[in-house]
Amino acid sequence: MRLLAALLLPFVVPAVITLLIWALPGDPAEIICPPERCGGTQVLAERWNLDQGPWHFFVTWMGAAFEGDFGRSWRVQQGEDVGVLLREAVPTSATLLLLTLIPMLGASAAAAVGWLPARIDNLLSGIGTIPAVIFSLLFAAVVEINYGADSFGEEGTALRMLFGVVVLCLADGALAGAVTGVRALFAAERSQRYVGVALLRGERPLSNMLPNVAPALIGQLRARVLHLLSGAVVVEVVLRINGIGDLLWLGTLMQDFGVVLAAATVFASFSAVLLAIQAVAEIIVALHVRRAPALSAPVSA
Amino acid sequence: MSRRVAAGIAALLLGLLVVAGLFAPDHMESGNAALALKGPLAVPPFGTDERGRSLMIYVEQGASVVVIPALLSGLMVGFLGILGGLLRCIGSERVDGALQYILELLGSLPRMVVILVVALLLPVEWRGLLPLGMAWALLSAPGAMDEAAAVAERLGGARFVEALRAHGFSWSRIYLYHVVFMNLRPVVVRQAAETVLQVTFLEIALSYLAIQENQSSFTHSDSIHSWASLLQSGYRWLVVDIPTSHALALGLALIGTLTVAARLTAHAARAR
Repeated sequence: MRLLAALLLPFVVPAVITLLIWALPGDPAEIICPPERCGGTQVLAERWNLDQGPWHFFVTWMGAAFEGDFGRSWRVQQGEDVGVLLREAVPTSATLLLLTLIPMLGASAAAAVGWLPARIDNLLSGIGTIPAVIFSLLFAAVVEINYGADSFGEEGTALRMLFGVVVLCLADGALAGAVTGVRALFAAERSQRYVGVALLRGERPLSNMLPNVAPALIGQLRARVLHLLSGAVVVEVVLRINGIGDLLWLGTLMQDFGVVLAAATVFASFSAVLLAIQAVAEIIVALHVRRAPALSAPVSA
Repeated sequence: MSRRVAAGIAALLLGLLVVAGLFAPDHMESGNAALALKGPLAVPPFGTDERGRSLMIYVEQGASVVVIPALLSGLMVGFLGILGGLLRCIGSERVDGALQYILELLGSLPRMVVILVVALLLPVEWRGLLPLGMAWALLSAPGAMDEAAAVAERLGGARFVEALRAHGFSWSRIYLYHVVFMNLRPVVVRQAAETVLQVTFLEIALSYLAIQENQSSFTHSDSIHSWASLLQSGYRWLVVDIPTSHALALGLALIGTLTVAARLTAHAARAR
């Protein structure tokens, strides 16, 4: 079921957006870009295949997207290939996300094995109540004060990225949720009878628990990554990191439908990859758990 | 802190914000340049902005933008959470399976991305925080429904309902009192309170980002100022030393107030 959802997701998102455009009252071209903001609605409709119904629009857009052609930006960077904008933005966001995952995974692992004391949870949870926008604007101020006009130089950009990682980690309860979630999962598993038996047999509890908690852990990890992706939009805009979240925001603000549709599809594809990874990991874990253990001595009747 | 005290303080704080929202003027006054950028002591209660307008108007207008949509979004998540718990109590595998599939799809999208797409597609005359808040609530619902369903599962699900029926309780008493009020309440109220907070933060984030780019907000008309304006004004104190620290402090205090109210609401609804 999860694999099916993963396969469908990159199609579902543009399909739902297409359906919404036609379901809303009014001309699709005028919904996408109101006449008071965009001139030449008729030309726009023809260029974007909006004049021949939703199916035609969806099929032509998806077909072109499969070949890497996302069309051209209308307003964010007029006439620029959206594919080029995406290729510039995606690596930045991916770096931000990966750098954020390192401390989060480290802290979660430390919580799982008990290296991170439980009393820190309240502190993390308290910090986590602060929204990303507040953290971001405070850090943006630090960058502006220290670097001024030079804040988009190499050092300033690196500092923005570093602060982006810190904000994504701490704000909106991301790190707190990861740590407490993993800790609670392992605490519940540790109270199971088989863990006690494993200890009596001189085995390490972690290696016994891991296959059983792995599906839940993977699910939690996927939820955390989605949470980070959502938060990245705010962080990238406020800290002026040129990632895909920033691109999506600019597209929305400036009514650049081409950019928004492409960026949303990229986000959906990324989410689909996460779903697929979770599904495959669950299958591997299930196969591992079901595998019969090798018996060291013949079983007597 | 006792649950009653927590409930009382939360109700008082939320009540104050609702009242502030109700009395919000539709437009900003022209202001008095002689009173520009005065602190709370010079011009009570909160001081003034760079045009000499009272920051109280920002508080009221911000509350009018946020309070009702955020509360309705919270109610929607609460309702869907209850639905998730009750459906688990029915014990139908088909319903569970179908629900799981829908929630899987809904929960696999980054919320902010969906919100921005909704904001883009909404006709100008429909724009406001309410549709965005509802979209956010819909995306938050899978978590609330999952958690409520887990509580119902731990309770015994369909077997719990069956046992109470055997004791002669009516359906309404079983579902509304024993399942929802006695068991689902802590989870549902906490999730609803969190959604209220998240929708408020969403509004502040969207408005702040729009102000930063000198564009109109998706959540309110140009004549209204959200609490994000206070933060943006305070940001100038941080960066270029314009004396607007009182605006930043007020913005942060408002966010803190709502956070405390949400936390206390969840605390008041916790299980005995």
